[in-house]
Amino acid sequence: MSETQTHVIVVEDEPQIRRFICDALQRDGCASFPAGTARQGLDEAATGKAALVILDLGLPDMDGLDFIHNLRTWSAVPILILSARSAEREKIAALDAGADDYLCKPFGIGELLARVRALIRRHWQSGENHPQHRFGDVEVDLLRHIVSRNGEEIHLTQIEYRLLAVLLANSGKVLTHRHLMHEVWGPGRSEQAHYLRIYVGRLRQKLEIDPAQPQHILTETGVGYRFQS
Amino acid sequence: MDVILPARRRGARYLLATLLCIVTTLATAPLRELLDLANIVMLFLLTVFVSAAWLGRGPAVMAAFLGVALFDFFFVPPHLSFAVADAQYLVTFAVMLAVGLITSHLTALLSERTEEARAREHETHALYDLARELGSALAVPQVTEIARRFLDRLTLDMTLLVADTSGKTVSFQEYGGRHLNELGRNFARSAYDRATIVEADSLAGMGMAIAFLPLVGPTQVLGVLALAPRSDDVEQLRSQRSLLEAVASLLAITIERVRYADSAQHSELQVAAERLRTSILSSLSHDLRTPLTSLVGLADTLAQRQPPLPESACETAGIIRDQARAMHHLLSNLLEMARLQAGNMPLNKEWQAFEEVVGSSTRLLAGVLAGRRVEIELPPDLPLVFFDAVLLERVLCNLLENAVKYSRDGARIRLVGEIREASLEIAVDNDGAGFPADRTEQLFDLFARGEQEPAVAGTGLGLAICKAIVVAHGGTIVAENRPGGACVRFTLPLGTPPAMEDEESP
Repeated sequence: MSETQTHVIVVEDEPQIRRFICDALQRDGCASFPAGTARQGLDEAATGKAALVILDLGLPDMDGLDFIHNLRTWSAVPILILSARSAEREKIAALDAGADDYLCKPFGIGELLARVRALIRRHWQSGENHPQHRFGDVEVDLLRHIVSRNGEEIHLTQIEYRLLAVLLANSGKVLTHRHLMHEVWGPGRSEQAHYLRIYVGRLRQKLEIDPAQPQHILTETGVGYRFQS
Repeated sequence: MDVILPARRRGARYLLATLLCIVTTLATAPLRELLDLANIVMLFLLTVFVSAAWLGRGPAVMAAFLGVALFDFFFVPPHLSFAVADAQYLVTFAVMLAVGLITSHLTALLSERTEEARAREHETHALYDLARELGSALAVPQVTEIARRFLDRLTLDMTLLVADTSGKTVSFQEYGGRHLNELGRNFARSAYDRATIVEADSLAGMGMAIAFLPLVGPTQVLGVLALAPRSDDVEQLRSQRSLLEAVASLLAITIERVRYADSAQHSELQVAAERLRTSILSSLSHDLRTPLTSLVGLADTLAQRQPPLPESACETAGIIRDQARAMHHLLSNLLEMARLQAGNMPLNKEWQAFEEVVGSSTRLLAGVLAGRRVEIELPPDLPLVFFDAVLLERVLCNLLENAVKYSRDGARIRLVGEIREASLEIAVDNDGAGFPADRTEQLFDLFARGEQEPAVAGTGLGLAICKAIVVAHGGTIVAENRPGGACVRFTLPLGTPPAMEDEESP
């Protein structure tokens, strides 16, 4: 294990699952640190080397949410949640607590590695700020507030622009409805959750090639949205 | 009303009044020379007053007349004669009689009132005792026994009819031992329906209930109290009507309380059962999902091994992974169905765009749908709809998967949305063999399959889940054949989405 390898902590109490995750990570060139309990996971994270924490929410010694809260008080390392498909509430709570993404069990290794790579890339890039973004044939210049497609300017309202900016700033990350409402409309507007649906719809109309099957502004059903460039 | 002494001693009271007058006369006679006639009158008035206070109105009136007569006979000159020498004594007689009568009336009235007040106090006390006893009652039979004891003291027999409104029509359960006959039941029903007292005087004397008091509780009529006096005295019921009404209302309040206590206990049990079910489901879900997750992951690990395994081994690993995923799919459907069948799964409904679930379903099924031509047609300005996105996504996924399962490679699958009156209608159709014509209804039953001999993998859970979800949203779902294929349509009610302030253009 060389020092240049990316460190990933795998907090999962099921040894078989832990094993294949660690195997896959190592084949992908990461250094994996298995942890069977939350305590071990936190101790491992405290070394400060980790670029990612993969966390199963059903741990025997600590509630997954408490783990995230604890970790977030002193670390900004990305957290990938492993969760059951039907547990939307659990996912939302974990994301609101500071987790970055989730993966539904059972998952294939391909899905796992795609998420892991995206989160690690985000982690390394987090220090850099790009005013220019590009996805599909759309270009966004946050510096000059210009959105254009194939060189042709697209007019966005203030709220649409703000929503797009929040999505771009969190590219690849799942944003819960509540988080987006708070970022775009400010605190105390959560009872107007339908605003978000309408504005996302308008943004898709303007930016997506097929708004019914969006390629960039993706719906995470029951949880929120994810921007994918 | 004769209140001071019982009625059978009425004669004795008149005798006593007479004796009092005679004693007064005898006692006063020796003082005739010493006392002024005006003072003697006073003594006779005192006699009337005492009679009134002690013996009641009738004897007092008699004492007034007797007093005047005795006074005239023994004291007014000429003595021992009813003749009156001086006409002015006629005034004395008149005043004496008037004062005697008025005094006797007032005194008797006063004691009547006192007695009434005492009776009322007694009644109140009895009701208070009844209320206290009822307060500790926990079930209707107990309530019945307490009421029966109370009414027994009033020489009344009772039947308590408690309404059972759980069925389509109201039925009565009778308590209290005495059962009503058909006629009595009809009277009781009429009292219940109109919530007023029904009296059946014509039945008096036949040992049947003749008064039917509705038990009007704070929120509803709870039943009827049927009363049968043991004597054939219809008047008895009349005179005690206000007391009996109070009893009926106490019974109503008690029965209502007992019922609430019952239903509170029942719902507590239900909550406990629900909690148990949920915890069993979630631990089942966790315990079964964990090995499946390992299977999928380990099969992938084998397939991606470096150096690679022989091709056939890789293929086997792929099959293991696919089968594990299929089993997980089945497990999810089963758990979902178990939750839905419990009937009280909370829906997480929100106002949202229907396009979103269409988009997320097709993205989830991208791999499955790859071999088909998928066409989506939704009206451009679809309003927001109120639904649970996760569940609706499951409906669309199940329908699309079915469409894939029952069509050939390259076939067309269409998802069409239309607004029809107050609902959104979604149709998913595919080119293929279609459903068996006579069984489109049963397709939505649990474990029903399109074909008798299942040539295509599946469990028949999918459509049953779709139906449960759509029905929980207040919609309908039907399956039908169209030329060259099959189609499932379902509706979602459209409501009025919450208002939205549009931002001002910058």
